[in-house]
Amino acid sequence: MREEHGNVAPIMISKGEDPGDVRTDVPYQLITILGNIYPWMTDGKKIAVVTRKCDEKALAEFFKRGYFDRSRVIQIGLACDKEQIGKCRCRDPVPSVVDIGEQQVALGTDALSDKLLEMSSEERLRFWEYQFRKCNKCFACTANCPVCFCDECVLEERTFVPEKGVPPGMSFHLIRAYHLSDKCIECGECERSCPAGIPLLTFRKLVAKDFREMYGFSPGDEKTISPLLTTLEGEPLDGDECDEC
Amino acid sequence: MTEFKPTILAFCCNWCSYAGADLAGVSRLQMPPNVHVVRVMCSASVKPEYVMKAISQGIDGVLVLGCHIGDCHYMTGNHRTAKRIPVVQKILKDIGLDEKRVRLDWVSAAEGEKFQKVIVEFVGEVAKLGPNPLKEVRF
Amino acid sequence: MRVSPWTEMSAMNVKHVLTTCPYCGTGCNFYLQVVEDKLIGVVPCKTDEISRGQLCIKGYNAHAFVQHPDRLKTPLVREHGELRQVSWDDALDRLAKEIARIKEKYGPDSIAFLASAKCTNEENYLFQKLARAAVHTNNVDHCARLCHASTVTGLLYSFGSGAMTNTIPEFGDADLILVTGSNTLEAHPIIGSHMLKALDAGARIVVVDPRDTPLSRLAHIRMSQNPGSDIAWINGMIKVIIDEGLADEEFIRTRTTDFDKLKGVVKEYTLEKVESIAGVKGEDLAKAARLYANAEKAMIAYAMGVTQHSNGTDIVMALANLAMVTGHLGKESTGLNPLRGQCNVQGACDAGGLPNLFPGYQRVDDEQARTRFEQAWGVKLPGSPGLTLTCAVNEAAVGKLKAMIVFGENIMVSDPDLTHVEDALKELELLAVVDIFPTETTKLAHIVLPAACYAEKDGTFTSTDRAVRLLRRAVNPPGEAMPDWRIACELAKRLGAKGFDFSSPAEVMDEMAKLTPIYGGIDHERIDREMIRWPCPTKDHKGTRILHAQKFTKGLGTFAPVHHSPPAESPSEEYPFILTTGRNLFQYHTGTMTRRSPKLERQAPEPYAEINKADAKGLGISEGDRIIVSSRRGSIALRARVTERIIPGAVFIPFHYSEAAANWLTNAALDPVSKIPELKVCAARIQKG
Repeated sequence: MREEHGNVAPIMISKGEDPGDVRTDVPYQLITILGNIYPWMTDGKKIAVVTRKCDEKALAEFFKRGYFDRSRVIQIGLACDKEQIGKCRCRDPVPSVVDIGEQQVALGTDALSDKLLEMSSEERLRFWEYQFRKCNKCFACTANCPVCFCDECVLEERTFVPEKGVPPGMSFHLIRAYHLSDKCIECGECERSCPAGIPLLTFRKLVAKDFREMYGFSPGDEKTISPLLTTLEGEPLDGDECDEC
Repeated sequence: MTEFKPTILAFCCNWCSYAGADLAGVSRLQMPPNVHVVRVMCSASVKPEYVMKAISQGIDGVLVLGCHIGDCHYMTGNHRTAKRIPVVQKILKDIGLDEKRVRLDWVSAAEGEKFQKVIVEFVGEVAKLGPNPLKEVRF
Repeated sequence: MRVSPWTEMSAMNVKHVLTTCPYCGTGCNFYLQVVEDKLIGVVPCKTDEISRGQLCIKGYNAHAFVQHPDRLKTPLVREHGELRQVSWDDALDRLAKEIARIKEKYGPDSIAFLASAKCTNEENYLFQKLARAAVHTNNVDHCARLCHASTVTGLLYSFGSGAMTNTIPEFGDADLILVTGSNTLEAHPIIGSHMLKALDAGARIVVVDPRDTPLSRLAHIRMSQNPGSDIAWINGMIKVIIDEGLADEEFIRTRTTDFDKLKGVVKEYTLEKVESIAGVKGEDLAKAARLYANAEKAMIAYAMGVTQHSNGTDIVMALANLAMVTGHLGKESTGLNPLRGQCNVQGACDAGGLPNLFPGYQRVDDEQARTRFEQAWGVKLPGSPGLTLTCAVNEAAVGKLKAMIVFGENIMVSDPDLTHVEDALKELELLAVVDIFPTETTKLAHIVLPAACYAEKDGTFTSTDRAVRLLRRAVNPPGEAMPDWRIACELAKRLGAKGFDFSSPAEVMDEMAKLTPIYGGIDHERIDREMIRWPCPTKDHKGTRILHAQKFTKGLGTFAPVHHSPPAESPSEEYPFILTTGRNLFQYHTGTMTRRSPKLERQAPEPYAEINKADAKGLGISEGDRIIVSSRRGSIALRARVTERIIPGAVFIPFHYSEAAANWLTNAALDPVSKIPELKVCAARIQKG
């Protein structure tokens, strides 16, 4: 990221080009951006990307599905500062290799998650019902999510999201939560880009916690395969063309 | 005072549980009303999307019935189901719906009585939970 | 050191170009993602004050139509009924010759120019200069005539300035937001987003709308008024505020005049009378009045539901009365905020694309103002106001207007009473259209010129909250398409006019700024780095966020004693329904851009009419049935959407679908002052298809 035209922009520079004043405080989701442009980078050249821990995990999800040629991607590890860790309520903020920044301590909990877990189901439902009522189907959550990589998004199908106008009903959010349950690396971009101010990161964290407790699995590790893609004995399920559902 | 009769959607796999449902019917076993059975080839073809859509549109309970583990006509289909449905249940719990509104069970072609038992049990559970609160929600 | 984007690089050229959205008037900035010369997507700008890194679905798809194969690529001229490709020189020469011939034969006022709310400020400045200096007519207007003309006339009277008084981000800090005639979450989603921020922080929202909209479902008080009954409920609210001692006496005394005239009028609007006219419950109205008056930071937001009436100017003035009575003006998170629809309708007005106003709202019949422009442009200028768009169509229909040069507008779908429009256009001796796609209007044109769109040129758009925002060229235009500013200059030069030798839009803005006090301090270099809202009279002025802080633009605000008057066409036995038209979230205006964007088209691909459940039942209509909706002017076939979102007795049709254009049915009854048509009310009949 770099300051340009009075704003902070994501930029791509070539070998030998001077990057100028690089900024690390504005959290653009560079893996999503990389995901958009990678298919067009047909020259086979290597691409370096500044990665926070969540970006590293997102890349792991790309590599394990063969979506990126891992030999082409060079990671420059960026440790997030305290303020950023606080905003993301991040449990895991330090990349494997820290090239920029000073490593900081993880936060552990998300205050809103804790509050929701203490509520009764009726209160919790009223809370989420209000939140989802604000949804305007901008698809920012899917557009900005690094691990949302389906070519055809099921959320655009009337079969699954039957409402003709806005707001879409609960199915939009429930289906998305399911699709992300074994992929979400809790980068928080969905929440930051939601114009309706829905606490999506909290929702992800709640589902991730349950998933972790059920299957002992967290996304973001290249070596582990999602439990949704294995048999009860842990063997990979076969016969999949698209293994996202 | 009329007793609440929940609307239930029951996905039954062709090879085992649907055959079991058939057997229950042929054996004239008594079953509660408002249970809509949908035959699928394998319980694995019940995409969680369908369950989510059904619940968000106000269905009171969704039942997914497959073959016993090891008996799946497609070998590992029911393994996939066994992994997915619990996630659906947890997500419902996280937004404040009761996970007992979705149930996964295994019923073989010969288990007409088990089929009836599962249906009656499930309908009873859901009836106790009351109508799906999302029925009242007008987005 | 920043490398120029046009440098050859060894790796593939990837750039993120910061630009302004071409859809609604919110004016979000985002990055267009370009790989080599291909637009591949949109990335929100996290540091943008207005959008804050968030966008609506149209914003995320703002790249999708740009490189569509349907784009007009070459000039076209109609010969023997067919449009055929010609060179630019050929097309421009023909156009200039025709204009000269018609001007010679019938006089300059037989020609009308339509400026464009989709074109930049620089372009609109040039369009009106072309009309006035090169052709010597004040017949220049644009689609603001169809949307916020009532705002311009109404607020000019009440405050002296017709623009949004506060800024978009201030909605996020308001305590009370009164929204009327605006489906904000669908028509201005990111402005709606700021309102939601306030809602989350505990603000109260009051929505007055005959339709049940996404925002009204979140509102604390929701009133469904009968379409066109707005003055009644507004006057009713003012009466409650005065009666209960909630008026801001000090503000009224020191900042306004004519309060007694207003008092005299509103005292008739008792809660009972309001209920009988508007259909809103007295206690809801009183509650809303108290909430609005008592709040510390109360904002009013309004749009077409207020303006598109045969008494639109009066309704706007009534809202101005409401704001003045409570003193909610001139301070943070207060004010009267018209939400302008198009990306540059505010700018097109500011730049003088209006028949009675020069750039900067200086009157053409004001000798002092006219002399300034005459001196700057070196030519005598006409002094009497020209034709509005709606009147121009009427004049064309009776053969008095002979030529129309249309820059970027699709009047064959967006104007009221399309049968009348079609007849009028067919009478013209010359119809020239400049656009980016073939449209229903280009189908009737004699000359069609291909233009560059927002992603292919530099320039500025002015958002609804007066922020002048930059467009930065990201990709090349297709084929031989040219930016409108070039086209206007080339045409002017061929008409023998001087003063059209510009080598960049920045130069055009420099000239415009010299003549337009509210833009006086604005140039491309400044706004490349800073966010500036007009008035910005000098280079060291930082711009103005809040209007009327110490005094109104005209000094004292004026209360306008307005009475309710019914819509021009009421339901009858033959036409028992009230037809109201409007927008939906996924499509935009006449659909030329959104219908060519796959993800948008997919969400709302078919024309439809919203009918109330009870009415549908009575007519035996179910969801998805094919129905025919007709009015005295025409009929269309579309699908029924049976819903509780519209009041019984009314039907809503979005105007985006040219295959079932709502405007075949609408009434061109005009507000006498603003000449805006009553697009929000006419009488209709529904039958099973």
